[in-house]
Parts: sequence; C-alpha cells; structure tokens
Amino acid sequence: MDSLQLLLDGFATAATPINLVLALIGVTVGTAVGVLPGIGPAMTVALLLPITYGLEPTGAMIMLAGILYGGMYGGSTNSILLNTPGESSSVVTAIEGNLMAKSGRAAQALATAAIGSFVAGTIGTLLVVFTAPVMTKFAISMGAPEYFAVILLAFICVTAVLGASRIRGFAALMIGLAIGLIGIDSTSGQSRLSFGIPQLGDGIDVVVVAVGIFALGEALWVAAHLRRKAAEVIPVGQPFMGKRDFQRSWKPWLRGTALGFPFGAVPAGGAEIPTFLSYILEKRLTKHPEEFGRGAIEGVAGPEAANNASAAGTFVPMLSLGLPTNATAAVMLAALTSYGIQPGPLLLQRETALVWGLLASLFIANTLLVVLNLPLAPLWAKLLRIPRPYLYAGILFFAAMGAYAVNGSPFDLILLLGLGLIGFGMRRFGIPVLPLIVGVIMGPLIELQGRRALQLASGSPRGLLGGVEVATGQFSLSLLACTVYVIIAIVLVWPLIYPLIKRQLPTPHIDAPTRQPTKTGGDNT
Amino acid sequence: MFNKIKLGIGMLTAGALLLTGCGATANQTEAGGSAGGSAQPLTGLRFMVPNTAGSGYDTTARAAAKVMDDIKATSNVEVFNLAGAGGTVGLSRVVSEKGSGKLLMMMGLGVVGAQYTNKTDAKLDQTTPIAKLIEESGAIVVAKDSPYTSIEQLVEAWKKDPKSMAVGGGSSPGGPDHLLPMQLADTVGVDPKQVNFISYDGGGDLLPAILGGKVAFAASGYGEFLDQVEAGQVRVLATSGAARVEAVKAPTLKESGIDLEFTNWRGVVAPPGISDGDKAALVSAVTAMHDSPEWKEVLTKNGWTDAFVTGDEYATYMAEQTKRVEDVLTTLGLA
Amino acid sequence: MSSALAAAGESRRPLAEFIPSAFLALLGIILLVDAGTLSNNRTGVDPLGPRPAPILVGAISLVLAIALAVAVYRGDRAEAESGEDVDLSSSMDLKTVLLLIGVFLANIVLIDLLGWVISGGLLFYGSALALGSRHLIRDLCIAAALSLSTFYGFAIGLGVNLPAGILQGIL
Repeated sequence: MDSLQLLLDGFATAATPINLVLALIGVTVGTAVGVLPGIGPAMTVALLLPITYGLEPTGAMIMLAGILYGGMYGGSTNSILLNTPGESSSVVTAIEGNLMAKSGRAAQALATAAIGSFVAGTIGTLLVVFTAPVMTKFAISMGAPEYFAVILLAFICVTAVLGASRIRGFAALMIGLAIGLIGIDSTSGQSRLSFGIPQLGDGIDVVVVAVGIFALGEALWVAAHLRRKAAEVIPVGQPFMGKRDFQRSWKPWLRGTALGFPFGAVPAGGAEIPTFLSYILEKRLTKHPEEFGRGAIEGVAGPEAANNASAAGTFVPMLSLGLPTNATAAVMLAALTSYGIQPGPLLLQRETALVWGLLASLFIANTLLVVLNLPLAPLWAKLLRIPRPYLYAGILFFAAMGAYAVNGSPFDLILLLGLGLIGFGMRRFGIPVLPLIVGVIMGPLIELQGRRALQLASGSPRGLLGGVEVATGQFSLSLLACTVYVIIAIVLVWPLIYPLIKRQLPTPHIDAPTRQPTKTGGDNT
Repeated sequence: MFNKIKLGIGMLTAGALLLTGCGATANQTEAGGSAGGSAQPLTGLRFMVPNTAGSGYDTTARAAAKVMDDIKATSNVEVFNLAGAGGTVGLSRVVSEKGSGKLLMMMGLGVVGAQYTNKTDAKLDQTTPIAKLIEESGAIVVAKDSPYTSIEQLVEAWKKDPKSMAVGGGSSPGGPDHLLPMQLADTVGVDPKQVNFISYDGGGDLLPAILGGKVAFAASGYGEFLDQVEAGQVRVLATSGAARVEAVKAPTLKESGIDLEFTNWRGVVAPPGISDGDKAALVSAVTAMHDSPEWKEVLTKNGWTDAFVTGDEYATYMAEQTKRVEDVLTTLGLA
Repeated sequence: MSSALAAAGESRRPLAEFIPSAFLALLGIILLVDAGTLSNNRTGVDPLGPRPAPILVGAISLVLAIALAVAVYRGDRAEAESGEDVDLSSSMDLKTVLLLIGVFLANIVLIDLLGWVISGGLLFYGSALALGSRHLIRDLCIAAALSLSTFYGFAIGLGVNLPAGILQGIL
C-alpha cells in the first residue's frame, strides 16, 4: 500500500481534537518528569504509563509518544541546565551544554537542542515511514563482528578527545573501563569487582556514574571554592538563538541525524555511541575549535540530533519486527500487549490504523514540543539565576532522589557519593570526564561483542572478520566489518603518512597555477 | 517585619495543604493480628518483585496483586521492585525479613539459577514456599532457512560437533534460557562443557541473531516467538513442556524421543520463620486468587499456562528443580 | 608578576599532586587481584574468558600511574577546573566540602528510617546552609515544601519508590 497515503490517513487519526489534547498532555507531563535528574525517558514512560490506562489504544499510544519525546526533551534540559543527565544518551549533551549554560548561553543551548531534536525527529520518523523494510534487513544483518568493528572505531576516536594531557586522558579512560567492568560477566557468569556486594552484581548504571561525577562532583567542587564575594549571578544573555547560532547548528543537526538513525534502527546500536561519535565529528569539523571545552554550540546541536534520530530509529525494529531495542520501546510494546495487541511482524498488517496513527502522532508530538518549549527556553534558563546555595542544594536533593528511586535502596546513594568524590578529585587534578564516560559505556560493549564474535566462530579469531552462515555452514567475511577495519587502519596510519605525503608534494610556485594556493604564512620566514 | 508576616502565611498555607493530603499513606500501615477466614481481606501485604518494572516477574506480580485486591482476598497490596543480580538482591531481603507474615516475593526458575551464579548467602530453601502460579514451556527454534527441519536432525548434528553450533538464549548463564539447552545437552548425551552457548540480553537481543542466521538455534520461552512463527520467520522444532503448545505446531521433546521436561515457572515465596497461621493465610489468599474467574481471564489474556501448586507440594517441586539446576551448573563450574 | 605566579605555583603542595598516581596504582592492583580470584573458565569456544579485560585495564593503570608520577615529579602540574562559581585563587575550603559530605551521609543513614520527607528536606536544608545561605527559617520552609511536594508528586502521585519512614500513616 502506498506509504504516503497511509501516513496521511494516520494524520487524520492522530489530529482529532481528543488525540491532540492527549498528545499535549503527554508532552507536558513527559517534559515535567523528564526534567528530573536521573529520570530518563524510559523511566518517565514507565512511570506515566498508568495515566494511559482507560484510554483506547490509539489514544494511549499517542499519549505515550508525547511522553516519550517530552521525556527526552526534559532530559536534555536538565543535562544543559543542571549537569545531571537523565539518560546515557544525554550525557554528551551535558558536556558542552552545561558549559554554555554556565557562560550565560543556556537559552541558546536549549533552543538548539529543541530545534535539533525536532529536525532529527521529523527526518527520523520520515525515514521510518519510507525505509523501514530496507533498514530492517540491514538491522538483521548486523552481528557481533560488525558491532565490534564499529565500537573499536569509536574507541580509536577517543584519542581525539583525551584533552590537553594525554596521560590524564588515558587515566580517565582506565577509570571508566574499570567502572564498566564491575558486575557479572555475561559470557562466563562470574562476578567481577563486586567484592561480595550483591547490589554491585549488575554493575553501576552509567546514569548513576554521570550524575555522581557530573552533578555531585561539581557540587562538592563548587563548595570548596565558592565565591564568597558578591553573589555573582550568571548573566542570562540573549533569550533566543542568533543568526550565527543557526548557521553553526544546522549542519550538525543533519549530521547528527545521519549518525543517530542507523544506530537506533539496529538492535544493539543504542543512542550513546552515535551521540559520542557526533561530538567527535563536530569537534573535528568545527570552525571554532577553541570553543570546545568552553561551550560550543555544535557540541550540543549534533549529539542532540543524534539522540532523537536514534530514538526515531528504534521504531523501525519495534514496528516491523515487534522488537524493542531499548527500555522505552519495551515499555511501549508492553503497553500494546496490555491492550491485547500482539506486537510483532504482523502488527503493521493487523493494526494499520494504530501504527500509522502512532507514526503521525510522533510528528505531532515533535512539533508540539518545539512550539511549546522554544519560547519557554529563556524561562528555563532563568532557573540558573537561583542563588548558588539553593541551586546546588537543589541539585543534591534531586540527584539523591533520582538515585534512591531506582531501586529504593540507600546503597545507590553511597555509590553516588563515592562517584561524587571521584568527580571532585578529577576536577582538582585536571582529569577529563569524557574519556571516563566513554570507558564506562563502551568498555563493556566492546568486550561483549568481541567475545561473542569469537564464540560465534567457535573460538577462532576470524570471528572478528565475519561469521558462519547458518544456512550453509560456511564462513563468510563481513563486508561491513572489513570496511570499518580498513577505515580504522587509515585513521591510525594517516597521521604517520601525511607528513611524508606533504614532503612529496612540490613546494608551490607562482608558475604552477594549477596548484592550490597555500596559506601565506608558509613561505615566509 | 513584613517578611515575618509572609512567612507566617506561607506556613499556614503549607500546613493546610499538608492536612488535606493526610492519610494518603495510612492504608499502608500494618494491621495487627492475623486474617483468618476468607471473609477478612489480608491488609498490609507487601509484594516484592526482584526485577525491574515491566519485566516478566513484575507483570505477573502486578496482575496477581490486582486480582487479589479485586476479589477482596487482600486489601491494598503494595507491589514494589527490588531489582538486582538476577533476583538475589530481592532474595536476600526476603530472607532477612524473618518472621514477617506480610511479605511475598515473586520468583521463578531464574532466581533458582541466580542464587548459584551470584554466590549469595541467602538461599531459596530458607524461604517459605507458598505457591507456584504459572509456567511456560521452552522452545527450540531455528530461522526459516535453517537446514534443520526436525529436532531429531538438530540433535544428531549437535552430537557430532557441539562446538560448531552456536546456541543462543535470552539469559545469562544460570538463567532459564541457559538451563534449557544445558539440560537438553545432558539428556541427549552432549557434554554441557562443549555447548557453545551465547547469552543475549533478553528476547529482543536474541531475535535478530536468529533471524540474521548468527546462531544455529536458540532456546527461550515459546511466548517470545509467537508472532515470528506466525509470520513464518522462525520455525519451532520442539517445545519442552509436558503437553503440546497449541499455538505452535511443534512436537514436545518427549514426543520426539527426548526424555526431558522443562518449564520456566513462576511462583511466590514468603520469608522464613513465619507462623503456621500466617502461612495458611497467604496460601488461602493466593488460592482464592487462582480459583477466581478474574485470574482465568488474566491467564488467557497473557497466554500464561496455569500450573498451580501450593505448600508442601510446591516445596518438593522447588527442591527437585534446585537439585537439577545445581547439577548442571556444577558440571559447568558455575556453582 | 612572575614572582606572584611562581608563588602561586609553589603554594600547590607537590605531595597532593601525586594522589592521582596513587589512586591509579591502587586501581590497577585491585583489578589485578580481583582478576586473580576469577576461575578462568576458558572453554574452547570462549578463548578469552573473563580475565583478560581486567588484567589489561589493571596493567595499563599501573603503567599510567608510574608515568603520571614521573611527569608530576618533572614539574607537570594539573590544571584544576575553573568555572563561573569557582574562585581558584583562594585555597580549598575543606570545611564546606566535609559539611556537604556529612549532610549527604546523614541522608543515606536516615532516609529509610525517617522517610524522604524529613531526610531529603534535611539534605536540602543542610546543603543550603553549608553553602552559605543565611536565611535559617526561610530555608527550612523551602526545604520542607520541596520534600513534601516531591513526595506527594512522585511517590504518591506516580508511584516512585520513596520511603515514608516514620511518617508512614500520617502522610
């Protein structure tokens, strides 16, 4: 059937007054809950699910879509304003976003996040609509060797963000990897670094790590050095994005979307890796590299777009295979089940109106979010004018609340405190935070996929290069994995051969007009 | 001066608001005394789920709690989550609340395995078994273009070279999806140590591996695959329960000549050292729930198989299951 | 000018600068020791087992610890993080930090006993005071309002897991 026609029908379903109101409620409530530190979109959807009981399925799904996007937006808001990311995919946003907020550009950070999310969400949803079958095939073909190769590439890119002192950057990476090692090794079933404490058996959630190191660490650090002079209030600055902000943001938005969507559509992709890759990409491509580390708008625009594109991407496996690829999708599918609707590959055929209504409502929720929150961004930014003692006491309060609420256990608070002390130490000794987060997120992933790749090839190292075709029993190289390895090789070797190439190029003369003109500084002494 | 007036008004307003909200938690206080006959609904009952919201145990517990409240076997059951380490964090909590007749914990086969792989001090045999509620047959599945068309064929190929055939499951070692292929291996004569088990993070992570032809075959609860089976994407070679599963056109293992019966079951337990009266009250509340038409509806809606067993019978069942699991895990060096 | 900078550099006690190296070394040792407790369940199909990863990270941590110590010895000083609210020219106010940690610990100990409303409220109150707020009564009211509203809103309204503590039944 014609996808476009179905989509338009979907809009007709979704745009009824009642459904619009439901979307509005969903977006508002989702944002309100998502703003709390430590409470990410998954938990927001799970918490607010009961509100949708009693609605009929289409209305409930529409409200859930609103809650989802609202929760995501709330999560980026608190990442930017309070440095307390609510989900692992907003951690990267916090890095540049909070720095922007601290230098009075909170409204711009929020605005670029909102618009970027809108752009990414819209493009992402369109891609879901029109490319689902192709993406699904691609998603199925990804296996352990491919994942391993991609994550390895991301790891290599870590070296780009080690910061001024490489030793300290690597140290941060090691600490992050160590934290990531805590827990039960899934392949062998043995506990590592849990010291007999059962709560550590599942490892430490990256959100707890981020909230502890970012928020708590900063609160402690500020406590140690609080300006006791005049109560300096952060200047609010311009309320809206300027033209230059737009010019610097639009390409990161598109690039972030391109990165985020495939990762979201692929089962083990997730949203953390694309946000991280987007950050590195933007740092590489920016015309203002000196701003990275002080609040560069590209560092918010790209990752936020990647984040939302990835969320849109998760709808591909969810709707075409009935496969939830993250906690939020799982909750939404559970909601469907509770209505007696079986998610699965036949969902599209069986519940056409529902699915297309859902997709249409994703567009609507997206639009509502931008329309509502863009004018509110300056208001949110005013939140930072609260006197310092209240601001940081509030951060501690909400961080503690979020950490406790996850499991109802004070143990998580002890963890939070410990991580806060580590964060304090890192700030004192100039150890960068980003490599640590990379270690926590990607360390376990790369180990898992690497060992799984070997297992799938019965222990042979060639498992990293490809897999055994079940139907034929033959081993075949993976095109994707090999391509990524080649890229890695180029990235590693490039810094070594580039100077050699440069030397080979004849020095430019005025009688060689075909050559590119070099910068003027080259020839002068 | 003016500030003090503002302060006073503020406090009065806050006080008034407080009073209106009073009592919201009152219904959660423990009522003293036992609730003997079926006429008295059990009050103050807490129902713990040792897993996160939205998980299988959580869904079952909340459904059960709702039915019990609806039929007035209980009054305002408080369901709460205490996730971690495959359910052993919850297990430790239950064991530590010795003597409390007002706590139930949802559990299942997964927790049996987890107590070994997590090496906890708290063990299930310390708890008071109340009742087994539901069970689900496991299924052995392959992708649609797999060369294996019957379970006999699969087993034969497996026996020849177990290491070359990767088995996927949605649990980590010790979990139900791991136990099924291991017990299967044991039964058909494959050394469990030779089994190439790949653990995936739940059905959602496992399915792409099956569809993408990454694993030779997979083991999980049959419910994971229903839609895929209907769509023709995966084939179920056999189910592991005592009776055939109607929704899936596949023989049982027993029918195929493999003497293994395996189900992933769920039940409830209570803390150790509770009084006989308390135990009887809990059993009767759960029995009332089971007998009610509301529960039958829940079973149908969720596709759960009724497998109700209480008290001592349940204790025997658990002990037998624990022994089986312990044997397999010891062979693998995980216990 | 340069003498002031030199003085500022000197005022950083060099011993403190070795703390990161000590931490890294400790980390490395813990990782290696813990890896030793693992039985290397290496089957033919899983040639690595659970040990290589912690051993690798532990070994690199030890190497980095030494490298960092050497660098610090040779004069490499860390650049402490600055920010809007941070005034690096004065020395560290450890008293405030310890107060905050103390308040946080108090919350950890009291939260299950006294419930979120009291314990969380105290957390906010204590933190605000430790950070320099002088409005004793006003802060108490704000703290109470905050903890009550979050409790009602989240614990009762949305079912978030926050304890009522001794106020069970009253709230």
